[in-house]
Amino acid sequence: MAHVMAEGFKFRYLKTPVHGLDPRVKLLMTAMLFALALLSSNLYQEALVFAAVGVPAALARSLKRLLRIAALSLTFSLMIFAVNMLFGQPLLESAVITIRFLGIVAATSVFFVTTSPDEIEYVMRWFRLPRDFVFAFATSIRFVPVLMMDLTQIIDAQRSRGLEMDRGNPVRRIRNLIPVLIPLIVNALVRSGELAEAMEARGYGAVSRPTSMHALLMKKNDYAALLVLVPAWSLLITYFLGLL
Amino acid sequence: MSVIEFEDVRHRMPNGVVALDSVSLKVGRGEVVAVVGGNGAGKTTLLKHMNGLLKPSSGRVTVFGKETKEESIARLSRRVGLVFQNSDHQIFSESAKEEVMFGLKNFGIPPGEAEEKAGRALEYYGLADLAARPPLTLSGGEKKRLCIAAVMAWEPDVLVLDEPTVGQDYPSRSRLFGVVQGLASSNRTVVIVSHDLEFLWPLSPRTVVMSKGRVVADGPAREVFMRTEMLRDAGLREPQLLQLSRRFGREEPFTAVDQAAAWLTERGRAN
Ligand SMILES: Nc1ncnc2c1ncn2[C@@H]1O[C@H](COP(=O)(O)OP(=O)(O)O)[C@@H](O)[C@H]1O
Ligand SMILES: [Mg+2]
Repeated sequence: MAHVMAEGFKFRYLKTPVHGLDPRVKLLMTAMLFALALLSSNLYQEALVFAAVGVPAALARSLKRLLRIAALSLTFSLMIFAVNMLFGQPLLESAVITIRFLGIVAATSVFFVTTSPDEIEYVMRWFRLPRDFVFAFATSIRFVPVLMMDLTQIIDAQRSRGLEMDRGNPVRRIRNLIPVLIPLIVNALVRSGELAEAMEARGYGAVSRPTSMHALLMKKNDYAALLVLVPAWSLLITYFLGLL
Repeated sequence: MSVIEFEDVRHRMPNGVVALDSVSLKVGRGEVVAVVGGNGAGKTTLLKHMNGLLKPSSGRVTVFGKETKEESIARLSRRVGLVFQNSDHQIFSESAKEEVMFGLKNFGIPPGEAEEKAGRALEYYGLADLAARPPLTLSGGEKKRLCIAAVMAWEPDVLVLDEPTVGQDYPSRSRLFGVVQGLASSNRTVVIVSHDLEFLWPLSPRTVVMSKGRVVADGPAREVFMRTEMLRDAGLREPQLLQLSRRFGREEPFTAVDQAAAWLTERGRAN
């Protein structure tokens, strides 16, 4: 299970037209999809949202990954559904709200599935966010796969010592997490301390305006993508807002 | 009777990497087996099949006559104790004693008896004085011995060690060697994974060489380590004492530095 999750979150570079876009274009596209998902108000519109998310995901050969991420958020979706029903929302309304949540998850994932941590860092710099903040953010994303690998190894070690994670009542199961979470957190802390030292040893923070190796440049295919995205989105959003 | 048996085992990772390919291997009771090979050879994957953490994609792994597919990891671990490479991936308790108690409690050993067994294990591995110490504050060598003690405490029939010498300084290495030697002479079944041939040489156990997921050699260390080409292809280098023996055309290789030194002195005198 942990392994499947590790795979799902790991960024993998694929040579597809979507991966190759300028990260700013990918961000804009994701923001557009996000807005659509947020504003969808009936099942029909939600179907359109999934179609709109599906096209770039398919072009990026990442439909399976996206489905996997959606599956992971399914438990959470079911909770949303249950809470809505409990508070007396009609069935259809509850379903719409739940599916809207799934749509938002899928829309946001498009960005993270197609954009490398490096690209995310460039975009944030382009927005002139504080350097330390950008670095901390990009590093924490880069560390997710590392932590996931730690997690699988820790689980293997503790299971070899007789820990049965999914046995017993709910209280017991939560207690079962202690032998897994403590080594995970301790390792993460140790590693971040080491990273900080290594960064300083390599001159991080020595000058207030460091130079950069990468410049973001819009290419032909980026403009082409915008030419398709903007009109298609405008059409959909006008319809979603009931102006059509 | 073999305690662990691999029959034509193949293991394919979820990402398609074939980590084990046509592996057949028997570990007999009371046998000490070293598994050697370069990085990524499939050694850890092999070990994880021994207590059911991983199941073969095809072929069979049987442990004490039972196929691992039909047993829980906990039940298998009761008899086959695995100690992983990185101690920091398992240490979590407030004291060394509690760290050892963890497995004992998981296997349902009554508190009084568990307490006693934990005490004995700490004593045996030279950690009695550190019983109350938070394990995170121990040295690398002490942590390693604690991890071994934490498994040996429940007295598994087989002990499986993954790369025990990595990151260990000289005193810890020699203590570790003592531990392995002690287990070997008390007729324990031990499987020890290592690419540290220097460490294994004085023990000279049966040695299984792995390369790219396959077993490429299996036999006494004395014979296997002689096959220089094969070792090099598997990403390994023969131990220095063996190189020295070869350099001087000795049939019977040196097993200790003192022995080599005595022989060389003698030879020098004769010339
Ligand atoms: N969880 C995993 N997912 C994908 N590939 C893996 C995984 N674990 C190991 N591998 C791959 O399987 C092969 C064998 O790995 P491993 O058994 O760890 O080798 P060793 O312990 O000999 O260094 C390597 O190519 C490694 O990259
Ligand atoms: Mg390994």
